[in-house]
Amino acid sequence: MTSSHSAISVRNLWQVFGPNPENIIGSPDALLPRAELRAKTGNTAAVRDVSFDVAPGEVFVVMGLSGSGKSTLVRCLTRLIEPTSGSVVMDGEDVLQANGSRLRELRRTKFSMVFQNFGLLPHRRVIDNIAFALEINGVKKSERHARAQEVVELVGLRGFEQAYPEQLSGGMQQRVGLARALAVDPEVMFLDEPFSALDPLIRRDMQNEVIRLHKELGKTMIFITHDLDEAIKVGDRIGIMRDGAMVQIGTPEEIIANPADEYVADFTRDVPKSHVLTLRTIVRPQADGESVSGVSLDAKTIIRDATDAVVNAGGAVTVTDNGQSIGVITANDILRIVGSGASA
Amino acid sequence: MTGKTKVGFKLSAIAGAAALLLTACGGAGVDAGSTASAASTGAPCGSYTIAMHAWVGYTASAQVLTNVGKSLGCDIKQVKLDEAKTSYDAMESGTVDLIVEDWGGGRWKDWVDRGAVVDLGSDGNVGQIGMYVPKWMAEKYPDITDAANLNKYADLFKTPESKGKGAWLEGPPGYTTIGEKLISANKLNYTAINVGSEQALIDAFTKGTENKTPVIGYWWTPHYLLAKLGLVRVNFPKSTWTDAAKADGTTDYPASDLEKLASKKLATSGDAFSKLVTNWKWTNDDQNAVASDIDGGMTPEAAAQKWIDAHADVVASWTK
Amino acid sequence: MSSIVEQELIPEAKKTIPRGWIFAGIIVVWAIIGKIMNGKYTLAVNLADQTKMSASINDWANHLGQNRQSNPFFVYFITPVREFISGLVDFIRSVISVPLAHSSIPMLGWLGIFAVIGFIVFITSNFRQSLFAMAMIFSVGALGLWTQSMDSLALVLTAAILSLIIGIPVGIWAGLSDRGLAVVTPILDLAQILPTLVYLAPVALFFLIGPAAATIATMIYTIPISIRLTAFGIRGVPKSPVEASVSMGTTKWQLLRHVQLPMASRTIVLGINQTTLAALSFAVIATLIGAPGLGDPVVQALVLRNVGDGAVAGLAVVLIAIMFDRSTSATLKKQGIYVPPSEKAIRNRRIGIGIFGAITVAAIVVSRQFKWAAFFPESINVSKPIADFADKFTSGAVDHFGFATTGLNTLITETILNPLESLLTGTPWFITSLAIVAISFLLGGARSAIVTTILLLAIVSTGLWQDTMVTFTQTIVATLLTMIIGVILGVWIGRSERADKVLRPFLDAGQVLPAFVYLIPMLGFFGPSRFTGIATGIIYSIPIVVKIVGQGIREVPVNMNEAAISAGSTKWQQITKVQLPAAKNSLLLATNQGLIFVLAVIVIGGFVGSGGLGYLVLVGQSKVEMTGKGLVAGLAILLLGVMIDRIAQYTVRRNSAPKQ
Ligand SMILES: Nc1ncnc2c1ncn2[C@@H]1O[C@H](COP(=O)(O)OP(=O)(O)OP(=O)(O)O)[C@@H](O)[C@H]1O
Ligand SMILES: [Mg+2]
Repeated sequence: MTSSHSAISVRNLWQVFGPNPENIIGSPDALLPRAELRAKTGNTAAVRDVSFDVAPGEVFVVMGLSGSGKSTLVRCLTRLIEPTSGSVVMDGEDVLQANGSRLRELRRTKFSMVFQNFGLLPHRRVIDNIAFALEINGVKKSERHARAQEVVELVGLRGFEQAYPEQLSGGMQQRVGLARALAVDPEVMFLDEPFSALDPLIRRDMQNEVIRLHKELGKTMIFITHDLDEAIKVGDRIGIMRDGAMVQIGTPEEIIANPADEYVADFTRDVPKSHVLTLRTIVRPQADGESVSGVSLDAKTIIRDATDAVVNAGGAVTVTDNGQSIGVITANDILRIVGSGASA
Repeated sequence: MTGKTKVGFKLSAIAGAAALLLTACGGAGVDAGSTASAASTGAPCGSYTIAMHAWVGYTASAQVLTNVGKSLGCDIKQVKLDEAKTSYDAMESGTVDLIVEDWGGGRWKDWVDRGAVVDLGSDGNVGQIGMYVPKWMAEKYPDITDAANLNKYADLFKTPESKGKGAWLEGPPGYTTIGEKLISANKLNYTAINVGSEQALIDAFTKGTENKTPVIGYWWTPHYLLAKLGLVRVNFPKSTWTDAAKADGTTDYPASDLEKLASKKLATSGDAFSKLVTNWKWTNDDQNAVASDIDGGMTPEAAAQKWIDAHADVVASWTK
Repeated sequence: MSSIVEQELIPEAKKTIPRGWIFAGIIVVWAIIGKIMNGKYTLAVNLADQTKMSASINDWANHLGQNRQSNPFFVYFITPVREFISGLVDFIRSVISVPLAHSSIPMLGWLGIFAVIGFIVFITSNFRQSLFAMAMIFSVGALGLWTQSMDSLALVLTAAILSLIIGIPVGIWAGLSDRGLAVVTPILDLAQILPTLVYLAPVALFFLIGPAAATIATMIYTIPISIRLTAFGIRGVPKSPVEASVSMGTTKWQLLRHVQLPMASRTIVLGINQTTLAALSFAVIATLIGAPGLGDPVVQALVLRNVGDGAVAGLAVVLIAIMFDRSTSATLKKQGIYVPPSEKAIRNRRIGIGIFGAITVAAIVVSRQFKWAAFFPESINVSKPIADFADKFTSGAVDHFGFATTGLNTLITETILNPLESLLTGTPWFITSLAIVAISFLLGGARSAIVTTILLLAIVSTGLWQDTMVTFTQTIVATLLTMIIGVILGVWIGRSERADKVLRPFLDAGQVLPAFVYLIPMLGFFGPSRFTGIATGIIYSIPIVVKIVGQGIREVPVNMNEAAISAGSTKWQQITKVQLPAAKNSLLLATNQGLIFVLAVIVIGGFVGSGGLGYLVLVGQSKVEMTGKGLVAGLAILLLGVMIDRIAQYTVRRNSAPKQ
């Protein structure tokens, strides 16, 4: 994946809070752990030297412990916080070089954000909240209301157009936030822990909503979450942050199968691996004298889905990739994985 | 949002309609009958504001002028205002037009020099400030009326406020006062105490007379109270000064002509009120008569009218 | 939690004892030196004598007056401003209070004004408030003060509107920009300390006595309030909607218009409320520099020592204040709710506005056509019984309890006031200064001592050392008494809901009245004396002190109280050992506020025999040759105020218990 084909390409992005942030970057201090840096200079390196690419139409999930710099990162991408250094290229244009009016134009047309704490305007009705971005862009009232009405239906808020935010439940408010971000029909959406305040049921509905939107509208998304299940569910790829740095980027499967370090492993420990990993990750060469049943399964099959077939096969099952056998697995191999996941 | 704009619109519409209505009506119907009396004198007369100082004698003078002025068809208003600078400044800014009785011995000079205030000369009253004691004290301690003996009696006048010395009740702020200078130049064992207002002095003298409690304080004539209570003046060496700021404190307050001061507008208009003010002159007794009626409970209007009715010839001489 | 109690109490007890001893030591040494060197180096200046500074300021002031017509600063700035503002006041007055030329009524007769006020309140809040406002305005008429009230209204409206026109944009600037806040904050802080009496003279010096100067002085008082609340409102807007809006690409202006202003509107309306009330309260004292209106009867009552008339005028001020307060508070409530009215409610309201509007127009027309509707009916006048009642009440009190009031006056004067005054004024100035600096060091630390030294030297250089110390003495005595009473009442309302319910309305009403009004009954009780000023200062500052202390007591964590109760402490121990120490921050804050409020009153005590700096300001107001001295006295009050405030602030900062 090269940057010319990316929707977003981030290179060497730094965000240092505190006095004289420019002086930190490139100095030996930049390598200090966060706490030591703060003690020494009073600076906080919230984002350190982060680089990654997001393909058009991809959902890129950013994860990490609280304080690891996720929000700061995404705010840097939209320049709600001015990054200290680095580059953020969207469609071949460096967003960090855009002047005030160009930046406003980008924000109005190219990307939009959904916030963890909604950020709705309490003094405006739902419909006017959703149409707000269009309003500031000078779209005529009838036109912007028509468009807002479309997204209202999309997020399932019909009948609540005239309500004020405080009359809605948290989940409905979040949907207003989502609708507002969709109203401008952006190419890229940034979602900062959009569902963390919701109860599990609404949360699942909303996740499905995002997946649907993603599939139907093909938006590129950068999605922040604390929740690995959620990440796996909605994400094409996951980037894991720690102390401001991006420690690993990969598909859910890659990350769970090959955590880059203890931190990432800790992160993924509680995930039922059988729900994420495919047979490819546990396939092994046929052992000497091992009996092979006639059953064969594709390497892309999720382990959980293969369980029944393997257990009932009465012997090792052949795993194929593009029709070619690449090895075998047995019920024992599966049980090991399922067992480790069940301990959660 | 939309609701608000509509209300705003309505409001302005109504305001607009009201304004239209007012202009359409022209003059207020209320005034239909009242303009006649003004017209009867023929000569048009302007509107003027008299600065009203705090003392009753002043009210007496101002009210008589107000009543006569109104009968001439002039529009006379009264505004309560502090003496001296406050009023001169007000005159300069055009808020007031007349001071009927100024005690200041020329303190208005700067304003006159720059044409903001016009000195119309004496109003006929002669003012005398001094230190006074109640009648019973003068009778009981005959030599108290000589300032040289005051120290002998200082202990009589002690109060918590005077901190071990005699309490010397000083005139209100703004009045011409040289109490501290008199005390220090004559080496008196007294503390000048600022009681704040004429009324506070009246109360002190009245109580001092009724309860026979010792009191010594600032007082002046013309004032109805002087005769009413029979206050007795304490004599200091005869005055040698006119400008209080330059007094050295060894000598008493001077007798001074009380002056009429007018705004340039009033002084130069030449209308009926302007003439009235220029001609007006009366005596201390005249003023005391009106003032004591006011003190007796009459409204200033009634007291002034009573005097006017009784002195038609004098009034006529002013309005010629 | 009980560990917090211990942590709070034990080191505290250890610390205060030696400090108390040092404090006593300072006083004793000071008193002894004072005795020995009594009367020397006291920098006494006679009333009529000039100091170096006052003489030169006098010359300057005279010079200023003489050049009024030629100096370009006056010709092109001061005079146009004055004329503009007085034109504005005159215009409003010609609508509601001053008869038009060749007419005996203003543009509107009383019935018209009555209806218009009702209509405006109806539009901004609701029908109930509108009825209430009309009732208030009618009552003011029934007090026989219709014209004065309208004059005050005109001045208050002009001052409030201009203040808001200036204050809201500046407040927005300070709300949006940190630099703006940094520029504005020290000015606002100073404005809070500055006693009102102080800037009357300088304003009059430039703008001459009259409604314009009164309006400008009022604005100096009220603009900071609207700036403060607007900035506070803007800064209080939650971050997330702002950030969300920025992320959508709003311009700064769109953000302000669509997000920040609407969301801050509640606080801004509160600012309008506070600005208007403050303007009303100030308009009373502004009468000293030519404000027409209700200040007139108040000052008149003060000068004539007429408690009855004073009560009537004071009541009128309160009624108008309540009217303003209620109608803006109702608007405030409306602002807080984003739930839309139903279609029917909207329609009803439109009909209501239509009908009310029509009635208003009719009332205006009628009020210009018929005498009964033009002039407030004289037959409706309740002022006499009220005045008589107030008179009887005070004279009765004086007759029956005269021994008590005189006794109290004499007691306080002779046991506290005179000794303290002779200590402060009779001791050589450098000894007194040293003692004050030492106490300041004890209370607030080194920085406090340094600032105090500088300010004391500045006071000495004004030449009005003696008068400043007289005023300072009274401020200290009044604050001490205020704190004793205030803490008792504060603890009471802090501990008992019922006490709070009983006292709260009095505290609220007490805060509405201008200090000036309180002087009148106090004068009736105590006669012209320093104690009258002190008593007024106490009455005036008690509401704020009680409120702060009560709040502090109430905020003491419940479990802390419970721990103390379970440890078996008595009620008294609970108050003195737990609640008061835990409410220490509030006590310090209350003392600071008390000092500033008291000082503001002590200086107007010049009217009733307080002497000191306030009296000099008043004399300077009325005597040409004393102008300079009055101005210098104002400066000395300012320096004294800043000194008191700084010491209090440093003390608060140093001694504040850390927030739990
Ligand atoms: N404006 C700021 N000034 C100084 N430090 C900041 C600022 N904003 C964030 N930080 C610091 O940067 C670090 C990263 O914060 P950030 O909000 O990006 O974390 P996060 O990963 O989003 O955490 P969470 O999951 O809790 O939302 C934190 O240590 C935070 O204290
Ligand atoms: Mg975050």
